[in-house]
Amino acid sequence: MSAIIEIKNITKEFKVLNRREGLKGSLKDLFSRDYKIVRAVDSISISIEQGEIVGYLGPNGAGKSTTIKMMTGVLEPTSGEILVNGNEPYRSRTRNSKEIGVVFGQRSQLWWALPLIESFRILKDIYRISDDDYDHMISLYKSLVDIDELLHKPVRQMSLGQRTLSDILAAFLHNPKIVFLDEPTIGLDVSMKAKIRTLINALNKEKNTTVILTTHDMGDVDALCRRIVIIDKGKMLYDNDIEHLKGFFGSYRTLKIGIDGDLTAEAEKIQKEFPEFSVSNDDEWISVLVDEEKSTVMDVLGRLQASRKIKDMKLEEISTEEVIKKIYEEGV
Amino acid sequence: MKLKKYGTLVRAGLMESLQYRASAFVLVIGNLLYLIIIYFLWKAIYASAGTDTVSGMTFSETLIYLVLATALFNFMEMYIVWDMGRSIQSGDMVLMLLKPMEYRSYLFWSYSGEHIMQFITTFLPTFLIVCIVTHGAIPLGINLVYFVISVVMALLINYYINFFVGTICLYTESIWGINIMKQVIVMLLSGVTVPIAFFPETLQKIVYCLPFQSIYNAPLTLLLDGQPESGNVLSILVTQFLWCAVMGIACRLFWKLSIRQITVNGG
Repeated sequence: MSAIIEIKNITKEFKVLNRREGLKGSLKDLFSRDYKIVRAVDSISISIEQGEIVGYLGPNGAGKSTTIKMMTGVLEPTSGEILVNGNEPYRSRTRNSKEIGVVFGQRSQLWWALPLIESFRILKDIYRISDDDYDHMISLYKSLVDIDELLHKPVRQMSLGQRTLSDILAAFLHNPKIVFLDEPTIGLDVSMKAKIRTLINALNKEKNTTVILTTHDMGDVDALCRRIVIIDKGKMLYDNDIEHLKGFFGSYRTLKIGIDGDLTAEAEKIQKEFPEFSVSNDDEWISVLVDEEKSTVMDVLGRLQASRKIKDMKLEEISTEEVIKKIYEEGV
Repeated sequence: MKLKKYGTLVRAGLMESLQYRASAFVLVIGNLLYLIIIYFLWKAIYASAGTDTVSGMTFSETLIYLVLATALFNFMEMYIVWDMGRSIQSGDMVLMLLKPMEYRSYLFWSYSGEHIMQFITTFLPTFLIVCIVTHGAIPLGINLVYFVISVVMALLINYYINFFVGTICLYTESIWGINIMKQVIVMLLSGVTVPIAFFPETLQKIVYCLPFQSIYNAPLTLLLDGQPESGNVLSILVTQFLWCAVMGIACRLFWKLSIRQITVNGG
Protein backbone atom coordinates (compact mmCIF):
# COMPACT_ATOMS: atom_id res chain seq x y z
CA MET A 1 0.00 0.00 0.00
CA SER A 2 1.43 3.34 -0.94
CA ALA A 3 1.40 6.37 1.29
CA ILE A 4 -1.35 8.92 0.87
CA ILE A 5 0.73 11.68 2.42
CA GLU A 6 4.43 11.69 1.75
CA ILE A 7 6.49 14.45 3.31
CA LYS A 8 10.21 14.62 2.76
CA ASN A 9 12.41 17.08 4.63
CA ILE A 10 10.04 20.01 4.49
CA THR A 11 11.15 23.26 5.97
CA LYS A 12 9.16 26.46 6.30
CA GLU A 13 10.74 29.78 7.06
CA PHE A 14 8.90 33.00 7.76
CA LYS A 15 10.22 36.49 7.42
CA VAL A 16 9.32 38.39 10.55
CA LEU A 17 9.89 42.07 11.16
CA ASN A 18 12.10 42.80 14.16
CA ARG A 19 9.74 44.89 16.26
CA ARG A 20 11.11 47.58 18.49
CA GLU A 21 9.72 48.66 21.81
CA GLY A 22 7.66 51.70 22.67
CA LEU A 23 5.88 54.26 20.54
CA LYS A 24 9.11 55.52 19.04
CA GLY A 25 10.08 52.00 18.12
CA SER A 26 6.69 51.37 16.55
CA LEU A 27 7.07 54.49 14.43
CA LYS A 28 10.51 53.37 13.31
CA ASP A 29 9.05 49.96 12.48
CA LEU A 30 6.89 51.58 9.82
CA PHE A 31 9.99 52.05 7.71
CA SER A 32 12.06 49.17 8.98
CA ARG A 33 13.61 46.61 6.64
CA ASP A 34 15.06 44.72 9.55
CA TYR A 35 13.73 41.19 9.10
CA LYS A 36 14.70 38.03 10.82
CA ILE A 37 14.07 34.55 9.49
CA VAL A 38 12.06 32.27 11.72
CA ARG A 39 12.14 28.59 10.97
CA ALA A 40 8.69 27.32 11.92
CA VAL A 41 9.17 23.82 10.53
CA ASP A 42 12.59 22.28 10.29
CA SER A 43 13.13 19.34 7.91
CA ILE A 44 10.27 17.10 8.90
CA SER A 45 9.57 13.82 7.13
CA ILE A 46 6.39 11.86 7.63
CA SER A 47 4.74 9.15 5.61
CA ILE A 48 1.09 8.41 6.28
CA GLU A 49 -0.93 5.50 4.90
CA GLN A 50 -4.54 5.54 3.77
CA GLY A 51 -6.88 4.90 6.71
CA GLU A 52 -4.52 5.83 9.52
CA ILE A 53 -5.47 8.12 12.38
CA VAL A 54 -2.39 10.08 13.29
CA GLY A 55 -2.16 12.29 16.34
CA TYR A 56 -0.05 15.31 15.56
CA LEU A 57 1.09 16.73 18.84
CA GLY A 58 3.30 19.44 20.14
CA PRO A 59 3.19 22.37 22.53
CA ASN A 60 1.68 25.68 21.43
CA GLY A 61 3.75 27.26 18.68
CA ALA A 62 5.54 24.03 17.80
CA GLY A 63 4.73 24.32 14.10
CA LYS A 64 1.72 22.01 13.90
CA SER A 65 -0.60 24.43 12.14
CA THR A 66 2.13 25.43 9.73
CA THR A 67 2.65 21.80 8.74
CA ILE A 68 -1.09 21.29 8.30
CA LYS A 69 -1.33 24.43 6.20
CA MET A 70 1.42 23.06 3.98
CA MET A 71 -0.35 19.72 3.66
CA THR A 72 -3.59 21.45 2.67
CA GLY A 73 -1.80 23.69 0.20
CA VAL A 74 -2.40 27.03 1.89
CA LEU A 75 1.30 27.50 2.50
CA GLU A 76 4.16 26.65 0.20
CA PRO A 77 7.13 24.95 1.85
CA THR A 78 10.44 26.81 1.69
CA SER A 79 12.16 23.56 0.81
CA GLY A 80 11.39 19.88 0.72
CA GLU A 81 8.69 17.84 -0.91
CA ILE A 82 5.07 17.11 -0.07
CA LEU A 83 2.84 14.77 -1.98
CA VAL A 84 -0.75 14.53 -0.87
CA ASN A 85 -2.68 11.93 -2.80
CA GLY A 86 -0.04 12.19 -5.51
CA ASN A 87 -0.36 15.97 -5.91
CA GLU A 88 1.76 18.81 -4.71
CA PRO A 89 -0.90 20.58 -2.64
CA TYR A 90 0.19 24.22 -3.12
CA ARG A 91 0.40 23.81 -6.88
CA SER A 92 -3.02 22.30 -7.31
CA ARG A 93 -4.92 23.61 -4.33
CA THR A 94 -8.32 23.48 -5.99
CA ARG A 95 -7.87 19.90 -7.15
CA ASN A 96 -6.40 18.90 -3.81
CA SER A 97 -9.26 20.50 -1.90
CA LYS A 98 -11.75 18.00 -3.32
CA GLU A 99 -9.87 15.16 -1.68
CA ILE A 100 -9.49 16.71 1.73
CA GLY A 101 -11.77 17.92 4.49
CA VAL A 102 -10.82 20.30 7.26
CA VAL A 103 -12.18 21.20 10.66
CA PHE A 104 -10.60 23.98 12.64
CA GLY A 105 -11.91 23.82 16.19
CA GLN A 106 -12.58 27.53 16.48
CA ARG A 107 -13.85 28.25 13.00
CA SER A 108 -16.89 27.10 11.13
CA GLN A 109 -17.31 26.53 7.45
CA LEU A 110 -21.09 26.34 7.79
CA TRP A 111 -23.57 28.97 6.66
CA TRP A 112 -24.27 30.86 9.85
CA ALA A 113 -27.83 31.95 9.24
CA LEU A 114 -29.12 28.80 7.56
CA PRO A 115 -30.24 25.42 8.91
CA LEU A 116 -27.57 22.72 8.77
CA ILE A 117 -29.32 20.82 5.99
CA GLU A 118 -28.91 23.86 3.70
CA SER A 119 -25.17 23.97 4.38
CA PHE A 120 -25.04 20.31 3.43
CA ARG A 121 -26.95 20.98 0.21
CA ILE A 122 -24.64 23.85 -0.71
CA LEU A 123 -21.59 21.70 -0.04
CA LYS A 124 -23.16 18.93 -2.10
CA ASP A 125 -23.32 21.26 -5.11
CA ILE A 126 -19.93 22.89 -4.53
CA TYR A 127 -18.17 19.55 -4.23
CA ARG A 128 -20.44 18.08 -6.90
CA ILE A 129 -21.44 15.09 -4.82
CA SER A 130 -23.79 12.76 -6.65
CA ASP A 131 -27.30 12.24 -5.27
CA ASP A 132 -26.56 8.62 -4.40
CA ASP A 133 -23.35 9.38 -2.53
CA TYR A 134 -25.05 12.23 -0.71
CA ASP A 135 -28.03 10.12 0.38
CA HIS A 136 -25.71 7.33 1.42
CA MET A 137 -23.64 9.72 3.55
CA ILE A 138 -26.69 11.29 5.19
CA SER A 139 -28.10 7.89 6.11
CA LEU A 140 -24.71 6.89 7.48
CA TYR A 141 -24.71 10.03 9.61
CA LYS A 142 -28.20 9.24 10.82
CA SER A 143 -27.06 5.81 11.94
CA LEU A 144 -24.07 7.24 13.80
CA VAL A 145 -25.40 10.34 15.52
CA ASP A 146 -28.75 11.82 16.29
CA ILE A 147 -28.77 14.54 13.66
CA ASP A 148 -32.48 14.84 12.95
CA GLU A 149 -32.93 17.70 15.38
CA LEU A 150 -29.72 19.36 14.20
CA LEU A 151 -30.54 19.30 10.50
CA HIS A 152 -33.24 21.93 10.70
CA LYS A 153 -31.60 24.15 13.25
CA PRO A 154 -29.84 27.34 12.08
CA VAL A 155 -26.13 27.07 12.81
CA ARG A 156 -26.05 30.30 14.79
CA GLN A 157 -28.47 28.80 17.32
CA MET A 158 -26.35 25.71 17.92
CA SER A 159 -24.24 25.11 21.00
CA LEU A 160 -20.50 24.88 20.48
CA GLY A 161 -20.65 21.10 20.72
CA GLN A 162 -23.43 20.76 18.17
CA ARG A 163 -21.64 23.13 15.84
CA THR A 164 -18.37 21.23 16.07
CA LEU A 165 -20.21 17.98 15.44
CA SER A 166 -21.88 19.54 12.41
CA ASP A 167 -18.57 20.87 11.15
CA ILE A 168 -17.04 17.42 11.37
CA LEU A 169 -19.98 15.94 9.46
CA ALA A 170 -19.59 18.68 6.84
CA ALA A 171 -15.89 17.90 6.46
CA PHE A 172 -16.61 14.23 5.78
CA LEU A 173 -19.59 14.89 3.49
CA HIS A 174 -17.76 14.71 0.17
CA ASN A 175 -16.05 11.52 1.29
CA PRO A 176 -12.53 12.97 1.20
CA LYS A 177 -9.49 10.75 1.39
CA ILE A 178 -7.96 12.83 4.16
CA VAL A 179 -9.55 14.87 6.93
CA PHE A 180 -7.56 17.35 8.99
CA LEU A 181 -8.98 17.97 12.44
CA ASP A 182 -7.33 20.87 14.23
CA GLU A 183 -8.26 20.73 17.90
CA PRO A 184 -11.78 19.49 17.28
CA THR A 185 -12.67 18.97 20.94
CA ILE A 186 -11.49 22.35 22.22
CA GLY A 187 -13.90 23.82 24.73
CA LEU A 188 -16.33 20.90 24.71
CA ASP A 189 -17.85 19.08 27.66
CA VAL A 190 -16.96 15.50 28.54
CA SER A 191 -19.96 13.82 26.94
CA MET A 192 -19.66 15.82 23.72
CA LYS A 193 -15.97 14.94 23.53
CA ALA A 194 -16.85 11.26 23.84
CA LYS A 195 -19.53 11.59 21.17
CA ILE A 196 -17.15 13.28 18.77
CA ARG A 197 -14.43 10.68 19.36
CA THR A 198 -16.88 7.86 18.64
CA LEU A 199 -18.02 9.62 15.50
CA ILE A 200 -14.49 10.16 14.19
CA ASN A 201 -13.60 6.54 14.88
CA ALA A 202 -16.73 5.28 13.15
CA LEU A 203 -16.23 7.45 10.06
CA ASN A 204 -12.60 6.41 9.85
CA LYS A 205 -13.60 2.73 9.96
CA GLU A 206 -16.55 3.06 7.62
CA LYS A 207 -14.88 5.13 4.91
CA ASN A 208 -11.24 4.27 5.53
CA THR A 209 -10.58 8.00 5.73
CA THR A 210 -7.14 9.12 6.80
CA VAL A 211 -7.40 11.43 9.78
CA ILE A 212 -4.73 13.87 10.91
CA LEU A 213 -5.58 15.14 14.35
CA THR A 214 -3.95 17.89 16.34
CA THR A 215 -5.03 18.25 19.90
CA HIS A 216 -3.93 19.14 23.39
CA ASP A 217 -6.35 16.69 24.95
CA MET A 218 -4.65 13.36 25.65
CA GLY A 219 -8.10 11.80 25.96
CA ASP A 220 -8.47 12.35 22.21
CA VAL A 221 -5.11 10.71 21.61
CA ASP A 222 -5.88 7.66 23.74
CA ALA A 223 -9.32 7.24 22.20
CA LEU A 224 -8.38 7.74 18.56
CA CYS A 225 -4.75 7.49 17.61
CA ARG A 226 -2.69 4.41 17.06
CA ARG A 227 0.24 6.45 15.91
CA ILE A 228 1.52 9.78 17.13
CA VAL A 229 3.93 12.32 15.80
CA ILE A 230 5.33 14.88 18.19
CA ILE A 231 7.08 18.02 17.09
CA ASP A 232 8.51 20.92 19.02
CA LYS A 233 10.21 24.09 17.81
CA GLY A 234 9.70 22.84 14.28
CA LYS A 235 11.67 19.66 14.80
CA MET A 236 10.31 16.15 14.90
CA LEU A 237 10.71 14.52 18.32
CA TYR A 238 8.79 11.29 17.96
CA ASP A 239 6.99 9.27 15.33
CA ASN A 240 5.75 5.86 16.37
CA ASP A 241 2.99 3.81 18.01
CA ILE A 242 1.35 5.03 21.12
CA GLU A 243 2.49 1.83 22.94
CA HIS A 244 6.12 2.55 22.23
CA LEU A 245 5.68 5.99 23.67
CA LYS A 246 4.88 4.63 27.10
CA GLY A 247 8.04 2.58 27.16
CA PHE A 248 9.99 5.54 25.94
CA PHE A 249 11.18 6.67 29.33
CA GLY A 250 11.67 3.21 30.74
CA SER A 251 8.73 1.50 32.34
CA TYR A 252 7.58 3.76 35.07
CA ARG A 253 4.72 3.07 37.45
CA THR A 254 3.65 5.10 40.43
CA LEU A 255 3.14 3.26 43.70
CA LYS A 256 0.97 5.12 46.17
CA ILE A 257 0.75 4.07 49.81
CA GLY A 258 -1.30 5.34 52.72
CA ILE A 259 0.16 5.10 56.25
CA ASP A 260 -0.39 6.67 59.64
CA GLY A 261 1.80 9.42 61.00
CA ASP A 262 3.48 12.47 59.51
CA LEU A 263 3.51 11.83 55.79
CA THR A 264 6.16 14.41 54.95
CA ALA A 265 8.61 12.93 57.46
CA GLU A 266 7.81 9.41 56.29
CA ALA A 267 8.29 10.43 52.68
CA GLU A 268 11.76 11.75 53.49
CA LYS A 269 12.63 8.49 55.21
CA ILE A 270 11.44 6.47 52.25
CA GLN A 271 13.39 8.69 49.90
CA LYS A 272 16.54 7.81 51.86
CA GLU A 273 15.69 4.13 51.63
CA PHE A 274 15.18 4.34 47.86
CA PRO A 275 17.53 7.03 46.58
CA GLU A 276 17.12 5.76 42.99
CA PHE A 277 13.37 6.66 42.85
CA SER A 278 11.64 9.98 43.34
CA VAL A 279 9.30 10.11 46.33
CA SER A 280 6.67 12.72 46.98
CA ASN A 281 3.59 13.08 49.13
CA ASP A 282 0.27 14.88 49.42
CA ASP A 283 -2.32 14.93 52.21
CA GLU A 284 -3.35 11.34 51.65
CA TRP A 285 -0.69 9.43 49.79
CA ILE A 286 3.04 8.93 49.55
CA SER A 287 3.96 8.34 45.91
CA VAL A 288 7.01 6.44 44.75
CA LEU A 289 7.80 6.61 41.05
CA VAL A 290 9.21 3.16 40.40
CA ASP A 291 11.43 2.44 37.44
CA GLU A 292 10.68 -1.21 36.78
CA GLU A 293 13.98 -1.75 35.07
CA LYS A 294 15.72 -1.21 38.42
CA SER A 295 13.40 -3.11 40.70
CA THR A 296 9.81 -4.33 40.54
CA VAL A 297 6.91 -2.66 42.24
CA MET A 298 6.28 -5.79 44.33
CA ASP A 299 9.84 -5.65 45.59
CA VAL A 300 9.51 -2.03 46.65
CA LEU A 301 6.17 -2.74 48.30
CA GLY A 302 7.65 -5.67 50.22
CA ARG A 303 10.54 -3.61 51.56
CA LEU A 304 8.20 -0.80 52.56
CA GLN A 305 5.88 -3.19 54.33
CA ALA A 306 8.67 -4.75 56.37
CA SER A 307 9.30 -1.61 58.38
CA ARG A 308 5.88 0.07 58.56
CA LYS A 309 2.16 -0.70 58.55
CA ILE A 310 0.52 0.10 55.24
CA LYS A 311 -3.22 0.92 55.46
CA ASP A 312 -3.95 1.26 51.81
CA MET A 313 -2.20 1.25 48.45
CA LYS A 314 -2.81 1.88 44.78
CA LEU A 315 -0.82 1.56 41.62
CA GLU A 316 -0.90 4.04 38.74
CA GLU A 317 0.35 3.46 35.24
CA ILE A 318 2.06 6.43 33.71
CA SER A 319 -0.47 8.17 31.47
CA THR A 320 0.05 9.39 27.94
CA GLU A 321 -0.44 12.85 29.33
CA GLU A 322 2.55 12.49 31.66
CA VAL A 323 4.77 11.08 28.94
CA ILE A 324 3.88 13.89 26.57
CA LYS A 325 4.43 16.40 29.33
CA LYS A 326 7.86 14.92 29.94
CA ILE A 327 8.68 15.09 26.24
CA TYR A 328 7.52 18.70 25.95
CA GLU A 329 9.52 19.71 29.00
CA GLU A 330 12.66 17.69 28.60
CA GLY A 331 12.81 16.58 25.00
CA VAL A 332 13.61 13.03 24.01
CA MET B 1 -23.27 20.64 -14.07
CA LYS B 2 -20.70 23.29 -13.46
CA LEU B 3 -23.28 26.06 -13.25
CA LYS B 4 -25.10 24.32 -10.45
CA LYS B 5 -22.55 25.27 -7.83
CA TYR B 6 -22.97 28.95 -8.69
CA GLY B 7 -26.74 28.60 -8.59
CA THR B 8 -26.59 27.05 -5.17
CA LEU B 9 -24.51 29.94 -3.84
CA VAL B 10 -27.00 32.46 -5.23
CA ARG B 11 -29.80 30.52 -3.59
CA ALA B 12 -27.93 30.47 -0.27
CA GLY B 13 -27.39 34.23 -0.48
CA LEU B 14 -31.10 34.80 -1.12
CA MET B 15 -32.03 32.63 1.84
CA GLU B 16 -29.50 34.25 4.12
CA SER B 17 -30.71 37.75 3.33
CA LEU B 18 -34.27 36.65 4.01
CA GLN B 19 -33.20 35.67 7.52
CA TYR B 20 -32.55 39.27 8.47
CA ARG B 21 -35.92 40.91 7.99
CA ALA B 22 -35.41 43.61 10.59
CA SER B 23 -32.38 45.00 8.80
CA ALA B 24 -34.44 45.45 5.62
CA PHE B 25 -36.96 47.63 7.46
CA VAL B 26 -34.26 49.73 9.08
CA LEU B 27 -32.69 50.20 5.65
CA VAL B 28 -35.95 51.52 4.23
CA ILE B 29 -36.36 54.02 7.07
CA GLY B 30 -32.75 55.16 6.76
CA ASN B 31 -33.27 55.73 3.06
CA LEU B 32 -36.37 57.79 3.59
CA LEU B 33 -34.45 60.08 5.92
CA TYR B 34 -31.64 60.40 3.41
CA LEU B 35 -34.08 61.24 0.61
CA ILE B 36 -35.75 63.92 2.74
CA ILE B 37 -32.36 65.52 3.36
CA ILE B 38 -31.57 65.42 -0.35
CA TYR B 39 -34.90 67.02 -1.19
CA PHE B 40 -34.37 70.00 1.12
CA LEU B 41 -30.69 70.36 0.32
CA TRP B 42 -31.25 70.63 -3.40
CA LYS B 43 -34.32 72.79 -2.94
CA ALA B 44 -32.10 75.25 -1.11
CA ILE B 45 -29.43 75.01 -3.80
CA TYR B 46 -31.95 75.81 -6.55
CA ALA B 47 -33.52 78.61 -4.49
CA SER B 48 -30.16 80.27 -3.97
CA ALA B 49 -29.24 79.87 -7.64
CA GLY B 50 -32.34 81.84 -8.58
CA THR B 51 -32.75 80.07 -11.93
CA ASP B 52 -34.83 77.07 -12.95
CA THR B 53 -31.93 75.11 -14.33
CA VAL B 54 -28.51 74.63 -12.79
CA SER B 55 -25.76 73.03 -14.90
CA GLY B 56 -28.39 72.12 -17.48
CA MET B 57 -30.62 70.21 -15.08
CA THR B 58 -33.97 71.27 -13.64
CA PHE B 59 -34.83 70.70 -9.99
CA SER B 60 -37.12 67.75 -10.72
CA GLU B 61 -34.55 66.18 -13.07
CA THR B 62 -31.88 66.45 -10.39
CA LEU B 63 -34.20 65.03 -7.78
CA ILE B 64 -35.28 62.08 -9.92
CA TYR B 65 -31.64 61.39 -10.73
CA LEU B 66 -30.60 61.43 -7.09
CA VAL B 67 -33.54 59.37 -5.82
CA LEU B 68 -32.79 56.69 -8.40
CA ALA B 69 -29.06 56.96 -7.70
CA THR B 70 -29.74 56.33 -4.01
CA ALA B 71 -31.92 53.34 -4.84
CA LEU B 72 -29.24 52.01 -7.15
CA PHE B 73 -26.61 52.56 -4.49
CA ASN B 74 -28.63 50.59 -1.94
CA PHE B 75 -29.07 47.79 -4.39
CA MET B 76 -25.44 47.59 -5.50
CA GLU B 77 -23.63 48.42 -2.27
CA MET B 78 -21.32 45.57 -1.23
CA TYR B 79 -19.63 44.78 2.02
CA ILE B 80 -16.96 42.66 0.43
CA VAL B 81 -14.06 44.69 1.77
CA TRP B 82 -15.34 44.21 5.33
CA ASP B 83 -15.91 40.54 4.71
CA MET B 84 -12.51 39.94 3.23
CA GLY B 85 -10.78 42.01 5.88
CA ARG B 86 -12.53 40.16 8.64
CA SER B 87 -11.77 36.73 7.29
CA ILE B 88 -8.15 37.69 6.72
CA GLN B 89 -7.80 39.01 10.27
CA SER B 90 -9.55 36.08 11.88
CA GLY B 91 -7.87 33.51 9.65
CA ASP B 92 -11.18 32.18 8.31
CA MET B 93 -9.72 32.88 4.88
CA VAL B 94 -8.05 29.47 5.15
CA LEU B 95 -11.43 27.77 4.96
CA MET B 96 -12.33 29.80 1.86
CA LEU B 97 -9.08 28.88 0.18
CA LEU B 98 -9.78 25.23 0.79
CA LYS B 99 -13.05 25.22 -1.11
CA PRO B 100 -12.79 23.62 -4.54
CA MET B 101 -13.59 26.94 -6.17
CA GLU B 102 -11.80 30.18 -6.96
CA TYR B 103 -12.29 32.56 -4.06
CA ARG B 104 -13.14 35.37 -6.47
CA SER B 105 -16.08 33.60 -8.04
CA TYR B 106 -17.11 32.02 -4.75
CA LEU B 107 -17.49 35.46 -3.20
CA PHE B 108 -19.20 36.95 -6.24
CA TRP B 109 -21.87 34.29 -6.49
CA SER B 110 -22.40 34.25 -2.74
CA TYR B 111 -23.21 37.94 -2.96
CA SER B 112 -25.42 37.68 -6.01
CA GLY B 113 -28.35 36.33 -4.04
CA GLU B 114 -28.24 39.30 -1.75
CA HIS B 115 -28.16 41.68 -4.72
CA ILE B 116 -31.22 40.07 -6.27
CA MET B 117 -32.97 40.47 -2.93
CA GLN B 118 -31.91 44.11 -2.64
CA PHE B 119 -33.01 44.78 -6.19
CA ILE B 120 -36.49 43.56 -5.36
CA THR B 121 -36.74 45.24 -1.97
CA THR B 122 -35.07 48.59 -2.61
CA PHE B 123 -34.59 49.49 -6.25
CA LEU B 124 -37.80 48.17 -7.76
CA PRO B 125 -40.21 49.85 -5.30
CA THR B 126 -38.37 53.17 -5.55
CA PHE B 127 -38.41 52.97 -9.32
CA LEU B 128 -42.14 52.25 -9.40
CA ILE B 129 -42.93 55.03 -6.93
CA VAL B 130 -40.90 57.55 -8.94
CA CYS B 131 -42.72 56.40 -12.10
CA ILE B 132 -46.13 56.90 -10.56
CA VAL B 133 -45.41 60.13 -8.68
CA THR B 134 -43.78 61.90 -11.63
CA HIS B 135 -46.38 60.71 -14.19
CA GLY B 136 -43.92 59.35 -16.70
CA ALA B 137 -40.79 61.41 -16.13
CA ILE B 138 -38.92 58.14 -16.57
CA PRO B 139 -39.25 57.01 -20.17
CA LEU B 140 -40.35 53.37 -20.48
CA GLY B 141 -38.93 52.01 -23.70
CA ILE B 142 -35.81 50.43 -25.13
CA ASN B 143 -33.82 52.40 -22.55
CA LEU B 144 -34.91 49.86 -19.91
CA VAL B 145 -33.09 47.10 -21.80
CA TYR B 146 -29.93 49.20 -22.04
CA PHE B 147 -30.27 49.96 -18.36
CA VAL B 148 -30.41 46.28 -17.37
CA ILE B 149 -27.34 45.42 -19.45
CA SER B 150 -25.55 48.42 -17.99
CA VAL B 151 -26.48 47.51 -14.41
CA VAL B 152 -25.06 44.01 -14.75
CA MET B 153 -21.74 45.44 -15.93
CA ALA B 154 -21.88 48.11 -13.23
CA LEU B 155 -22.28 45.37 -10.63
CA LEU B 156 -19.24 43.58 -12.01
CA ILE B 157 -17.11 46.73 -12.02
CA ASN B 158 -18.21 47.55 -8.50
CA TYR B 159 -17.41 44.01 -7.40
CA TYR B 160 -13.97 44.12 -8.95
CA ILE B 161 -13.14 47.44 -7.31
CA ASN B 162 -14.25 46.06 -3.96
CA PHE B 163 -12.33 42.85 -4.43
CA PHE B 164 -9.21 44.77 -5.41
CA VAL B 165 -9.40 46.91 -2.30
CA GLY B 166 -10.13 43.82 -0.21
CA THR B 167 -6.99 42.18 -1.55
CA ILE B 168 -4.95 45.08 -0.18
CA CYS B 169 -6.05 43.89 3.27
CA LEU B 170 -3.82 40.87 2.80
CA TYR B 171 -0.89 43.24 3.24
CA THR B 172 -2.23 45.78 5.69
CA GLU B 173 -4.34 43.46 7.85
CA SER B 174 -6.49 46.46 8.67
CA ILE B 175 -9.66 47.44 6.89
CA TRP B 176 -11.22 50.53 8.37
CA GLY B 177 -9.17 53.28 6.75
CA ILE B 178 -8.88 51.65 3.37
CA ASN B 179 -12.57 50.95 3.16
CA ILE B 180 -13.57 54.47 4.16
CA MET B 181 -11.24 55.88 1.53
CA LYS B 182 -12.69 53.59 -1.10
CA GLN B 183 -16.22 54.56 -0.14
CA VAL B 184 -15.55 58.27 -0.30
CA ILE B 185 -13.84 58.02 -3.67
CA VAL B 186 -16.59 55.89 -5.17
CA MET B 187 -19.41 58.00 -3.73
CA LEU B 188 -17.94 61.20 -5.05
CA LEU B 189 -16.59 60.17 -8.43
CA SER B 190 -19.36 57.79 -9.45
CA GLY B 191 -22.03 60.48 -9.47
CA VAL B 192 -24.12 58.91 -6.76
CA THR B 193 -24.14 61.90 -4.38
CA VAL B 194 -23.79 64.75 -6.87
CA PRO B 195 -24.73 64.39 -10.57
CA ILE B 196 -21.58 64.57 -12.67
CA ALA B 197 -23.11 67.44 -14.68
CA PHE B 198 -22.53 69.64 -11.64
CA PHE B 199 -18.79 68.99 -11.56
CA PRO B 200 -16.35 71.59 -12.93
CA GLU B 201 -15.38 70.83 -16.52
CA THR B 202 -11.83 69.60 -15.88
CA LEU B 203 -13.03 67.31 -13.12
CA GLN B 204 -15.72 65.94 -15.45
CA LYS B 205 -13.04 65.06 -17.97
CA ILE B 206 -11.01 63.27 -15.33
CA VAL B 207 -14.07 61.45 -13.99
CA TYR B 208 -14.95 60.12 -17.42
CA CYS B 209 -11.48 58.56 -17.62
CA LEU B 210 -12.00 56.65 -14.36
CA PRO B 211 -13.99 53.47 -13.80
CA PHE B 212 -16.18 54.85 -11.01
CA GLN B 213 -18.69 56.72 -13.17
CA SER B 214 -19.43 53.43 -14.94
CA ILE B 215 -21.00 52.16 -11.72
CA TYR B 216 -23.79 54.70 -11.14
CA ASN B 217 -23.63 57.46 -13.71
CA ALA B 218 -23.63 55.16 -16.74
CA PRO B 219 -26.76 53.07 -15.96
CA LEU B 220 -28.66 56.14 -14.74
CA THR B 221 -27.83 58.10 -17.87
CA LEU B 222 -29.14 55.22 -19.98
CA LEU B 223 -32.26 54.88 -17.85
CA LEU B 224 -33.23 58.54 -17.99
CA ASP B 225 -32.58 58.99 -21.71
CA GLY B 226 -35.91 58.69 -23.51
CA GLN B 227 -34.55 59.06 -27.05
CA PRO B 228 -31.33 57.10 -26.93
CA GLU B 229 -28.89 57.68 -29.79
CA SER B 230 -27.26 54.42 -30.73
CA GLY B 231 -23.80 56.00 -30.85
CA ASN B 232 -24.14 57.38 -27.36
CA VAL B 233 -25.50 54.15 -25.92
CA LEU B 234 -22.80 52.16 -27.61
CA SER B 235 -20.02 54.35 -26.27
CA ILE B 236 -21.35 54.07 -22.70
CA LEU B 237 -21.73 50.31 -22.90
CA VAL B 238 -18.36 49.79 -24.56
CA THR B 239 -16.68 51.94 -21.90
CA GLN B 240 -18.30 49.83 -19.22
CA PHE B 241 -17.31 46.64 -20.94
CA LEU B 242 -13.71 47.78 -21.19
CA TRP B 243 -13.62 48.64 -17.51
CA CYS B 244 -15.10 45.23 -16.71
CA ALA B 245 -12.32 43.54 -18.62
CA VAL B 246 -9.54 45.75 -17.24
CA MET B 247 -10.66 45.51 -13.64
CA GLY B 248 -11.34 41.80 -13.97
CA ILE B 249 -7.84 41.12 -15.21
CA ALA B 250 -6.30 43.47 -12.64
CA CYS B 251 -8.14 41.71 -9.82
CA ARG B 252 -7.13 38.31 -11.04
CA LEU B 253 -3.46 39.22 -11.31
CA PHE B 254 -3.32 41.14 -8.06
CA TRP B 255 -5.03 38.32 -6.14
CA LYS B 256 -2.80 35.64 -7.64
CA LEU B 257 0.31 37.64 -6.83
CA SER B 258 -0.83 38.47 -3.32
CA ILE B 259 -1.95 35.00 -2.39
CA ARG B 260 1.35 33.69 -3.62
CA GLN B 261 3.10 36.23 -1.44
CA ILE B 262 1.09 34.92 1.50
CA THR B 263 1.77 31.28 0.74
CA VAL B 264 5.48 31.95 0.40
CA ASN B 265 5.96 34.34 3.31
CA GLY B 266 3.12 33.26 5.55
CA GLY B 267 0.33 35.42 6.86
